[in-house]
Amino acid sequence: MKDPYLPEKAAIEKIRRETVDTKTYSVRLLDARKNAEFSVEPGQFIMVSLFGIGEAPFSLSSSPNSDGAFNTTVRAVGNITSALDRFEEGAIIGVRGPYGHGWPIESARGKDILIVAGGIGLPPLRPVITKIAEERRDYGRLEILYGARTPDQMIFPYEYEDWRKIKDTRLELTVDSVPAGTGWEHNVGVVTTLFSEMKTYPENSLVMTCGPEIMMRFVVRGLLAKGFAPDQIYVSLERRMKCGIAQCGHCQIGPKYVCKDGPVFRLSDIQGLPDLAL
Amino acid sequence: MRIGVQEKESWKGDPVPAALLMKKDLKSWISRLTDAYVVYGPKPRGNNFAFERIHTPDEIVLDYSTTILPLKKFLGPPSEAILRFEEGSVQPLPEEAPKTLLFGVHCCDASSFAVLDKVFINEYKDDRYAKRRENIVTVVMACSEPEETCFCSSMGTGPSLEQGYDVLLTDLEDRYLAESGSPEGDALIQMIPRAATPGPADFQGKKKSIEDALKKFKRKVDTDRLPELFLKNLDHPMWAHIRDIDLACGQCVLVCPTCYCSDIRDTSEVTSASGERVREWDCCVLLEFAEVAMGGNFRRDRGARIRQFMGHNLSYCIEQFGRFKCVGCGRCIQACPVHIDITEVAGKVRGG
Repeated sequence: MKDPYLPEKAAIEKIRRETVDTKTYSVRLLDARKNAEFSVEPGQFIMVSLFGIGEAPFSLSSSPNSDGAFNTTVRAVGNITSALDRFEEGAIIGVRGPYGHGWPIESARGKDILIVAGGIGLPPLRPVITKIAEERRDYGRLEILYGARTPDQMIFPYEYEDWRKIKDTRLELTVDSVPAGTGWEHNVGVVTTLFSEMKTYPENSLVMTCGPEIMMRFVVRGLLAKGFAPDQIYVSLERRMKCGIAQCGHCQIGPKYVCKDGPVFRLSDIQGLPDLAL
Repeated sequence: MRIGVQEKESWKGDPVPAALLMKKDLKSWISRLTDAYVVYGPKPRGNNFAFERIHTPDEIVLDYSTTILPLKKFLGPPSEAILRFEEGSVQPLPEEAPKTLLFGVHCCDASSFAVLDKVFINEYKDDRYAKRRENIVTVVMACSEPEETCFCSSMGTGPSLEQGYDVLLTDLEDRYLAESGSPEGDALIQMIPRAATPGPADFQGKKKSIEDALKKFKRKVDTDRLPELFLKNLDHPMWAHIRDIDLACGQCVLVCPTCYCSDIRDTSEVTSASGERVREWDCCVLLEFAEVAMGGNFRRDRGARIRQFMGHNLSYCIEQFGRFKCVGCGRCIQACPVHIDITEVAGKVRGG
């Protein structure tokens, strides 16, 4: 068996700037056969190595596309992410994975889907939106509520028009604040301020949410108040991770490993566990 | 079956290769072993004991109190390079693990290996761990004199074992009953000088020795429903008290035979594109352990951090790998400068 700590070498093929501190990296494994076998469930993550700098978990913002490259969207906030921010197209990185359990794409079939995302929490949900668009008839209505701090912090703005064109889809945007001189024709307020106009109801629906844990805390409260049950709410959690394979011990939440049992959890499976802000 | 109490291996129904080792022949047996293996055993160090390299039989003291440091160092050093980067290449490290015989291991420490196996040889196998593990041979010593802080009898990890050893020695006054637990153990027993065949009286003697030892335990943990009770008592008032006295020094984690958490970081050589990925022991009671980007920390609270150590040992482990992580060695109790006692924590979550 291959050493699970040994990364596959991969090339950054394309870099697209999303916001002042966030970029989307299009990545391909150098080994063509392994790249062809690389299959991802929406919501899974990879361990990315910058050799000599370190390794960190990044969620995937796309499944492999038709030519086999896959995307990760990263905000430069720590040592490794800031180092990655200085990498250029053609650079070689290491990739392990994908790891973990993703979004409940299968059990969501036939149901209305509500997506609630905040800031850098949107990228792990993008593959869900893509999947629903591709297999539109398998799913009910799609509602996407997305909030960021300011208009220029919104990720994937160039895709919103396409998302709105997906049949039976509603996309609502909000920002915490609008700096003077910035144009903004959508809502202002935290993401839960969009809940009063929400068009998804608890009957035959599923919620997927990702963002800062404190945001998800209020999202969960708002949803429960609207009658959603804990077993129809899915959250994607962030914890420090060093190995991705349940051996380094960092990402534990009570008996759960975020890397192995998550990062996506059904709320009812983690309620009452320690050290959760939810 | 209560959780944590080990099941007998089915092959134990077959005749067990066993022999009697007269105490006067112990040293010559150890000599034969040191000729054939790299041997480590308990040696005096100050007022305590440490598992160190044994070259001659006189160095071993079998009547030893719990070593300060556990035996996890034989399965993974405090720091090790796991990958090497050169220009354009990435190589896994290290490759070799020498055959090592650990002589006189206490049952709690032998059981700690079974816990670590669950972590490192799983869906993903860490070859570094697995190679070391495969090359470790254990001569385990049943305990007849548990210490104040010992509670292995509560955790199903002592004072004797039914599996998890190559050879098990039981002290029968002028002799040891040596029982094999593996083909490698069979070979070790073959090396016993002037070995005699044990009779029913010797196995009776073993049984009595265990019964006598069981009466001597001062600390006990009731493990019945303990994992659930722990989770139901995350807000028990004792945590506020522990938060107030806890120093977050990490001694408990360092001395715990089954604490395996690690940090992984890269080192690079300034003058070239070469470097290494290094895995180092880490510690959940330290503040930085659960830090995430932008200063987030899900266990900023000191009480939450020591609760993580306790919970992992007494509760979370059952869902994670089906047995208690705590083996009842009592080292964390001995090491704690402010007298936090895991057996008291276990008692309090059930209203004790």
